[in-house]
Amino acid sequence: MSTEASRAIRVRRLRIPLHTQQAIMGYLFITPWIVGFLLFLAYPLVHSFWLSFNNLENLVNFQLRYIGLQNYVEAFLIDVNFLPMLYTTIRNAIIDVPLIIVFSLFTAIVVNQRLPGQGFFRAIFFLPVVIGSGLVIQQLFNQYQAEMGQAPLVRGIDVPTVILVVGPEFARTVLDLMNRLALVLWRTGVQILLFLAGLQGISSTLYEAARVDGASEWEKFWKITLPMISPIILLVAIYTIVDSFTDIFNPILNYIKNLAFAGQFRMGYAAALGWIYFIVVFALMGLVFWIGQRHTFYAGER
Amino acid sequence: MAQIAEELRIRGRREGLKLAWKGRLQSWVAKAFIYLVLIDISFIFLSPVIYMVSTSLKTVADVIDPTVYWVPTTFNLDNFKLSWQALKYFPSWQAITEAWTQGGLAALKDLIMTESAAARSTVIAVLAAIGQVISCSLVGYGFARCKFPGRELLFMLAMFTFLVPPQTIIIPLFIVYKQLGWIDTYLPFIVPSFLANGLRGAIFIFIFRQFFRGLPWELEDAARMDGAGWFTMFWRVMLPLAKPAIVVSFLFSLVWHWNDYFEPTIYLMNQEKFTLPLRLSIFWTGLEEVTGGQASRFYNEPLIMAASFLVIVPPLILYIFTQRLFVESVERTGLVE
Repeated sequence: MSTEASRAIRVRRLRIPLHTQQAIMGYLFITPWIVGFLLFLAYPLVHSFWLSFNNLENLVNFQLRYIGLQNYVEAFLIDVNFLPMLYTTIRNAIIDVPLIIVFSLFTAIVVNQRLPGQGFFRAIFFLPVVIGSGLVIQQLFNQYQAEMGQAPLVRGIDVPTVILVVGPEFARTVLDLMNRLALVLWRTGVQILLFLAGLQGISSTLYEAARVDGASEWEKFWKITLPMISPIILLVAIYTIVDSFTDIFNPILNYIKNLAFAGQFRMGYAAALGWIYFIVVFALMGLVFWIGQRHTFYAGER
Repeated sequence: MAQIAEELRIRGRREGLKLAWKGRLQSWVAKAFIYLVLIDISFIFLSPVIYMVSTSLKTVADVIDPTVYWVPTTFNLDNFKLSWQALKYFPSWQAITEAWTQGGLAALKDLIMTESAAARSTVIAVLAAIGQVISCSLVGYGFARCKFPGRELLFMLAMFTFLVPPQTIIIPLFIVYKQLGWIDTYLPFIVPSFLANGLRGAIFIFIFRQFFRGLPWELEDAARMDGAGWFTMFWRVMLPLAKPAIVVSFLFSLVWHWNDYFEPTIYLMNQEKFTLPLRLSIFWTGLEEVTGGQASRFYNEPLIMAASFLVIVPPLILYIFTQRLFVESVERTGLVE
């Protein structure tokens, strides 16, 4: 009886064409994500959108009052903190992203050379992945800065004292830039990693062909490495933007958190700020993607 | 005639030698330059860590003394001892034996979970990392190897989740967790991880999808010939091959969860549930407790550096042991094909 039943099941399973089976299995495989996505992303996103048009009247029974666009009006016209913060965040992202891309690509190329001891340097360069993403590093920066009077890592780069002679204003600008660079370097772990993986994906036959044709290292970089790695540049740019908009140094993160949870419980307004922020990030990303797509070379396309 | 030929030969050899020397010199200069750059960048990354360690070993006298810069005059471990206690890093040996003799295993577990921030951080990070590796490998496989209607759209949606800043959805999430009774538990970090979401889940889906896409289709054909079902194929054939992707995802997930600060500040309110970074943020309070309200007498830079160092030591040790595996795995994930 039972063997007959199981045979019947097997027969029925066999009758399903392979591509239907494949589709069913595909959905089964991604089911965890679909459930997680609906519960922990789609629903909160929609709920937050709805909250942004309301005001939390009573925290205990979570009573809401519909106030239309008032939260958004407040964000742009009344709140004196939000817009400057938003501006700073966007400006920082625009300055940092190219810095990070150039530095991490440079580092990846240097580390990718076949040299003795390269494993040791790689291990060090991934250090920011391990410790760079947290409170500890922030703590460290504050501390070091307070004691040394300048950001921690500038010492590694060492600003020539000449600039102090040129003028304090200039010196300050350079120091600012250096400080920024020093902070930025700590956010390059993942990016170096992505570039390194990308560099290793470039077929060595391309370089050999170029060598036979007498191309210099410089030409090889511009004619082979850069075009081949351009999709990864786009990837790194997107990753870096998201990272810079969500990292721990971000003032808006704390601002929203304090509005919503620290005593004031202005959840409606905080949700509105969250949505404005989201739209800004999304627009910026769209822009980068649009620019990136036009300058990206895909080897697979013919 | 022969003389001329001979002379030409010698001259040619000399020229050739000269060129070879020039080339060798150039490559030496290039190498020296690369090493210089490598050392300089290494110093940039290492100096804060070295600074942290050296400061944490200093006494107050050393901090004030301008002649003491990198190497402290005495190796003073008191800072580590005090910050260990203030962070509630791990209960003392005495407390552990006491709990063991009095209440057995249950009491011991209780003691460790309430008195050790390091243990709590470890539990969260390890469980969340396991969850993300399991779920994201399944989902990545589904996206890579099964054709189904709407696949591209759903994958785009999955990547889109990476773009949503946590602050946009944090309020409704908090409300949901509150209604579920998950506040002050570790479930908000663990459950989404097992559902292929959680901290940067999209990245891990991406990593696994890229990896599985790079494998030859013959693998599945052969397995199907042998009568393997879909899940057998996944567990027995595909997942063992995905070791590089698993290593990279697991380590990233572990470290990111360990360092995570924003989400724990919102979902954990009871100090007995705090993770290590949270304990660090209330270091003053912890110090007051340990010193009996005399925190200001002990609170100084070396102490904070010692505390900060204690927080990053576990991932650092993990990294030291796994860095070779990690770097090798990164090269073999085919992360960007």
